Amino acid sequence: MNGSARAVGRGLLFISPWLAGFCGLTLGPALLSAWYSLTDTTLLDPPVYTGLSNFRRMWSDSLFWIALRNTLVFAAMNSIGVTAGSLGVAVLLHRAPARVAALARAVIFLPTVVPVVTACACWMWVFNPRFGILNSALTAAGATGGPDWLGDSRFALASLGFMSVWVIGSPLLVAGAALREVPRSLLEAAAIDGLGSGGRLWHVTLPAISPALMFNGLMALIWSLQLFGPPLIMTRGGPEHATLSYSMYVYLCAFSYGDMGYACALAWVQLALTLALSAAVLVVGGRFVRYRTT
Amino acid sequence: MGWDRDQSRRAFLGAAGAAAIGGAIWPRVPRSRVMVPPGRVVLDYWEKWSGTELDSLQRVIDRFNASQDRSFVRVLPVGDLTTKALVAIAGGDPPDLLGMLSYSVPLLAETGAAIPLDRFSPALDTGAYLPAVRALLSYGGRQWAGVTSVYALALYYNRAMFAQAGLDPDRPPRTISELDACAARLDIRSADGRLERCGFLQVPVWWPYFWPIMFGGVLYDSARDRAVFADEATVRAYEWVASYPDRLGLSEASGFASSFERSYHSVGDPFLSGRLGMIVQGPWIANFARACAPELDYGAAPVPVVDDLLDPTEPTGLLEADVIVIPRGCPHPDEAFEFVRFMQQQETQEALALAHAKSSPMADVSPGFHARHPNRSIRVHDEVMRSPRVRILPQTRIWKSYADRTLGAFQHAWGGGGLRESRRDRLLRVLRGVESEVQGMLDHAARLRSRRAGPGGRA
Repeated sequence: MNGSARAVGRGLLFISPWLAGFCGLTLGPALLSAWYSLTDTTLLDPPVYTGLSNFRRMWSDSLFWIALRNTLVFAAMNSIGVTAGSLGVAVLLHRAPARVAALARAVIFLPTVVPVVTACACWMWVFNPRFGILNSALTAAGATGGPDWLGDSRFALASLGFMSVWVIGSPLLVAGAALREVPRSLLEAAAIDGLGSGGRLWHVTLPAISPALMFNGLMALIWSLQLFGPPLIMTRGGPEHATLSYSMYVYLCAFSYGDMGYACALAWVQLALTLALSAAVLVVGGRFVRYRTT
Repeated sequence: MGWDRDQSRRAFLGAAGAAAIGGAIWPRVPRSRVMVPPGRVVLDYWEKWSGTELDSLQRVIDRFNASQDRSFVRVLPVGDLTTKALVAIAGGDPPDLLGMLSYSVPLLAETGAAIPLDRFSPALDTGAYLPAVRALLSYGGRQWAGVTSVYALALYYNRAMFAQAGLDPDRPPRTISELDACAARLDIRSADGRLERCGFLQVPVWWPYFWPIMFGGVLYDSARDRAVFADEATVRAYEWVASYPDRLGLSEASGFASSFERSYHSVGDPFLSGRLGMIVQGPWIANFARACAPELDYGAAPVPVVDDLLDPTEPTGLLEADVIVIPRGCPHPDEAFEFVRFMQQQETQEALALAHAKSSPMADVSPGFHARHPNRSIRVHDEVMRSPRVRILPQTRIWKSYADRTLGAFQHAWGGGGLRESRRDRLLRVLRGVESEVQGMLDHAARLRSRRAGPGGRA
């Protein structure tokens, strides 16, 4: 055995705990779920091979379409909201005094470390139609009373989307770090050329930080396509399935309805959808992203 | 080098300290086994209850543990039990006993995930149960579960509020039209039009499938394995549901209902706090009333039905049960069955029913049961349970999925204000959609059953 093979062997030995975990806890179940997606099973009984029937079932399953639509709408709201929100706040903090910016960043990051159940419980009070701060503010502003944010199917999903933009701590850090990396010389050159602050932001800063924005948008998209906790805790998917998310539906099918085969098929469609949307974002977004060359 | 030596020493001392603390607090004997008397078979029992309900179950279990020296039941409260039970059974590592809801029985039976109780001997006396309870525990002609508690819903009403509004506190509404009339009398609005007190609302929405039954609906035709959710009775039921936000104003009614979303069975409960004059609830509310609103003067009556269904001697209602099953692959099935048998004794059932403020599921009730019962209206629940018109949930493995879809239909009816002229059509479309999808699931389940019953399959 030569030295390089020995080095590879030693490397594999060192990562073998991780490899064992990955194979046993991720790859194995993933392959098993691919098999289950072609079968009818509750897990309680032996799977019966049914070919692609689980995938065909989706066409006539209204809840599948509702969950898919809800998730896509939420993903659009969240990824745009989080990316734009974090950028806006990052730009403001970039111009703020250092101490103020550090304090604000810490405060804005705080929701990121709050457990989702706690955050949801707080937001339920914010959205409470009678006693919530949101409707109280609307009433104080002269409105005759705000809507039932979580109980009205017209507002429920939008309310969850609004809530999700609250968690911008991580993308804010990424955007802030990218802003600090914008070459000062470029900004000075643009200023000498007569560009105002808006022009410098549009023509210099945004192109310079576009890789970071792309990263934030992509992460937000992938995260929001897996939406699960908030609708489960706050609305249980209602009213009228208006907040039923795709992941929640997969979970319900697998563990509440005893339809594991169908749930696995749904999960594979979700993976395909996530990959496709991510690829689309990379391809379309890639046209607007400017990578710095050294 | 000095830095490295310091680091190594610090790391070593840290690790040694952590090991010492770990060693000191590591239990010498697994904590859960400390109380198990030697020589007993330990039976693990997963139960969905917690709090006072679990405490009272524990007292019953203590009696069982003291009554014999062969086995020892150890109960573990488990949240989201159905999910975890399915995974544990599928993984081949289930506990000895599972406390499930009765709707799980068909799924467990069809998949062979539970052991039928008629496999054990001596057999349980199924004639001791009320007929409807017996039906809930059985599937395909076999008994798959024992009962732990049962409930039938009733209409609870605030007697003091009735008297204040000029209504007779001893004459609760018996029909839907009487209910509507009483409810309207009990509503109170503030000067700015806000709903301060509501006579009646269909909250909490824990039983969205309940209302069609009170209008004569059946939900499921077991003889033909057909979903029945777009029939005239169901349409009328959900039209009636819609009449409440219509009358009160959708925004006001929704706001009022939502504000209690997380406060049921607490001091903030709409009925217990005097904000709702009438509510449909199970008998357990007596326990919460005693704890949260001891001064509340309440009464109960069978849930009102549509006028043409009224028969005061045979009230209509819905019966549900908490059940105990022995899962496939459990380590000690014979000992587990001994515990199930203990739980099915009249004395045990009554002890648990008294603690939970529920009815007894047994056909015979001891003479002092009602006198000692913490719910002064328990006879109302008993009447419903013993009525020939009491219904149980559809005995099908897809019920949970069906039930979730009925919630969507209920919420559609509730929030479907606006275009009045087309409401019935839109409602009918939604109900037909649910019915059609559920029928698809029923057909799918039937195909699966026949496929499994084929060569090499399980019958």
